[in-house]
Amino acid sequence: MESLYLLIPIALLFCAIAIKLLLWAIDSGQYDDLDKEAWKILADDEPARPDAESPDNDAREDKP
Amino acid sequence: MCCPGCRAVAGLIAANGLESFYQQRTAYNQRPEQDEAPARDRYLVYDDPELAATFTTTDAHGAASARLLLGGMTCAACTWLIEQTLGRLAGIHSARVNLQQSRLDISFDPGQIALSEIFSRVDALGYRVRPFQASHQRQQMQDEYRSQLRRLAVAGLGMMQVGMFAIALHAGDIQGIESQYQGLLRWVSLIVASFVVLFSSRPFFTTAWRHLRQGTLVMDLPVALAIGLAWLASVWATISGTGQVYFDSVVMFTFFLLLGRFLEQRVRQRNALSWFDAESTLPDAVATRRDGQWVTLPRSQLQAGDVVLVKAGATVPVDARLCVGTSAVREDTFNGEHLPRSVSVGDTIYAGTVNLEAAIEARVLGSYRDSRLAALQRSVEQAQGEKPRLAKLADRIASWFVAAILLITSATALAWSQIAPEQALWISLSVLVISCPCALALATPAALTSAANALRHAGVIVRGENALEALARTTHLIFDKTGTLTEGSLQISTVQPLAGAKEAELLAIAAALQQYSSHPVSRAFSDISPAPGWEQVDYRVGAGLEGRRPDGNYRMGSEQFCRQWAPALPPPPDQRRYWIALCRAATPLAWIGLDDRVRPEAAAVVAAARSAGLAVELLTGDSSAQGPLLAKELGIEQVETGLQPEQKMTRVQALQAAGSVVTMVGDGLNDAPVLSLADASFAVAGATDLARTQADFVIVGEDLDSVISTWRKARQCRRIILENFSWALGYNVCAIPLAALGYVPPWAAAIGMSLSSLLVVANSLRLNNTPRS
Repeated sequence: MESLYLLIPIALLFCAIAIKLLLWAIDSGQYDDLDKEAWKILADDEPARPDAESPDNDAREDKP
Repeated sequence: MCCPGCRAVAGLIAANGLESFYQQRTAYNQRPEQDEAPARDRYLVYDDPELAATFTTTDAHGAASARLLLGGMTCAACTWLIEQTLGRLAGIHSARVNLQQSRLDISFDPGQIALSEIFSRVDALGYRVRPFQASHQRQQMQDEYRSQLRRLAVAGLGMMQVGMFAIALHAGDIQGIESQYQGLLRWVSLIVASFVVLFSSRPFFTTAWRHLRQGTLVMDLPVALAIGLAWLASVWATISGTGQVYFDSVVMFTFFLLLGRFLEQRVRQRNALSWFDAESTLPDAVATRRDGQWVTLPRSQLQAGDVVLVKAGATVPVDARLCVGTSAVREDTFNGEHLPRSVSVGDTIYAGTVNLEAAIEARVLGSYRDSRLAALQRSVEQAQGEKPRLAKLADRIASWFVAAILLITSATALAWSQIAPEQALWISLSVLVISCPCALALATPAALTSAANALRHAGVIVRGENALEALARTTHLIFDKTGTLTEGSLQISTVQPLAGAKEAELLAIAAALQQYSSHPVSRAFSDISPAPGWEQVDYRVGAGLEGRRPDGNYRMGSEQFCRQWAPALPPPPDQRRYWIALCRAATPLAWIGLDDRVRPEAAAVVAAARSAGLAVELLTGDSSAQGPLLAKELGIEQVETGLQPEQKMTRVQALQAAGSVVTMVGDGLNDAPVLSLADASFAVAGATDLARTQADFVIVGEDLDSVISTWRKARQCRRIILENFSWALGYNVCAIPLAALGYVPPWAAAIGMSLSSLLVVANSLRLNNTPRS
């Protein structure tokens, strides 16, 4: 049981590191938009099409 | 498809292969507003380097990055649509949308793509867009959000650690544990819990203290007391090596409560439109005469005395006096009505109104700050400050809860000091911990979050903080007329032939003439196929239309205009409708009556509100006879007409002073002050942005029924909150005597607390079931 004197401080150290990392992530804005990121994984991340120059020049003509 | 805009967007989405938007969106979009000016022209002003520099930065490689604010985003699918569409344009390096802040960060090559192109592309998708101006308030919201998350994160991780040690300690209590290991576990729990209390629980202490100094008791006070005392007792137990520790309860309580409040706030802040103010309805680019030439200037550079050109269909950018031309302006900004006022040289036109008929030149009277629109915005802000604060249910309960707990604890301490003085301290402390107001404090946020979620799925966005509670207690339901009870656009309701011609024939002639008009009336005729064979049609500003056909000359328009040719024209049949005359030379042909159609569900909504015991009123800016007639038709007894925005506010304030709780339903810019003043308020479908910003509830769907269904949901929510409170108090009533007798060990306290909190949350989740009656 003496190992507790070593293991608990190690656990606390890990916990401190985890907290530090989480706070850093929050401060760097990674959690600013919880709605989008949670959902984003479902979206197909299609690569840009080769004809990217002329994808939608109909945008304005279509406008009401 | 709800409108042509949707069709255009659907076409654009399909053409780009982005159809999956329709599978992935989780909420319907807000209905786009009709706009008259072509998109690209409106944004050309942002290509001006000086103006662009205020919101873009250029890096060493020549890539520019800009921050734009978006309006009308409702769900994550919107962000995806915008990102995908922009990402495919040549010259765009990256486009990232932040949904929570409605912000678009875009990085692009200024050599390949102009800012105005980006703006108009986003506009074409149906979202409103303007440069992001960092505001103090927005920054504050962001900071607040982040610090909440930080507290939550620390409390969560701390809870896991302390919980782990607590299980060992509780097991030790039951099975027996060597005192050196008990001491060790208590000390590490102490370290972690103290960190959590100092870091995460601080807002409870500061809020409780702030209100205490003002002499008010809020829910945070029992929370702070419970956390503080339980922590102090546990610290003392650890140091002295006696008694019991409650570190796990302290930390768990903190975490649950922070989580509950965080979720509640997040539901409300979603779709926040707080970025919008009255000024952003005004065009940024203004055509101004400088040295005899027309130049386009940013609006902020206008000075009093400048002459500006306002094209037909454009919004008037500043308060100005007309100096060339005649036209008509739609002043729904100030009175909520769609029928325009005719203006000619010398008349004053106001910023924010729309010039309908012909291009005019006008001399600027002053800056935005002096304008009537700015005054409206100021009265909105003033109304926000004057809105009566209804005491929250939770806070009212908190005040006597604190008293009761302190009383019981003192009684326990007194009793035990007679029976067994060495036990008195620990048993009174356990009473305090057992009476932990966790379930009590969670009762409201859990129910409010759940109700707001259910409403969002039913097409109502909840924004106001105390709105659901206020709505549930509402006594007066007040409606605006135009655009709220009515559809807000004129429709042909009747045709009175005067010379025996057929109705269809007359309408076809009228439709043909109206094709040449830009008056709002002409929209009513757009569905009718026009009669052929016209040689010439002229539009007479402020009067009507004149057309020539082989069978004669026609005139259509106001009574005087037609009477010039046809003196035999009888007066209009009644006051109820808006009448237009039609004549062929000296022969009067018809009176065509136009009407703002009442929303089909309006009568049912008013009837439902009345049968539920609410007093229903109609306050309208329209001074015609239509208000009282409509009220009679719908069964509303109390009606006031011809009101300015300030007069509507006075009426609501009078009701509030008499102790009524007022719910206001409106749509226009002119309703914004009264919406923010009312205890609860709705902005209906198609409401202006400013009205949406000020309303507590925004109805995204089409029907007015949502007002009643939201009211029912609010009542249900109130019932659930009361149930939660009675459960939480009932639990305390049962547990406190046990604790006072000294029967409750710490592990039972922790389990009891979690279970009662879970029960409260589960009960609140019942609000998510939406039986649509």
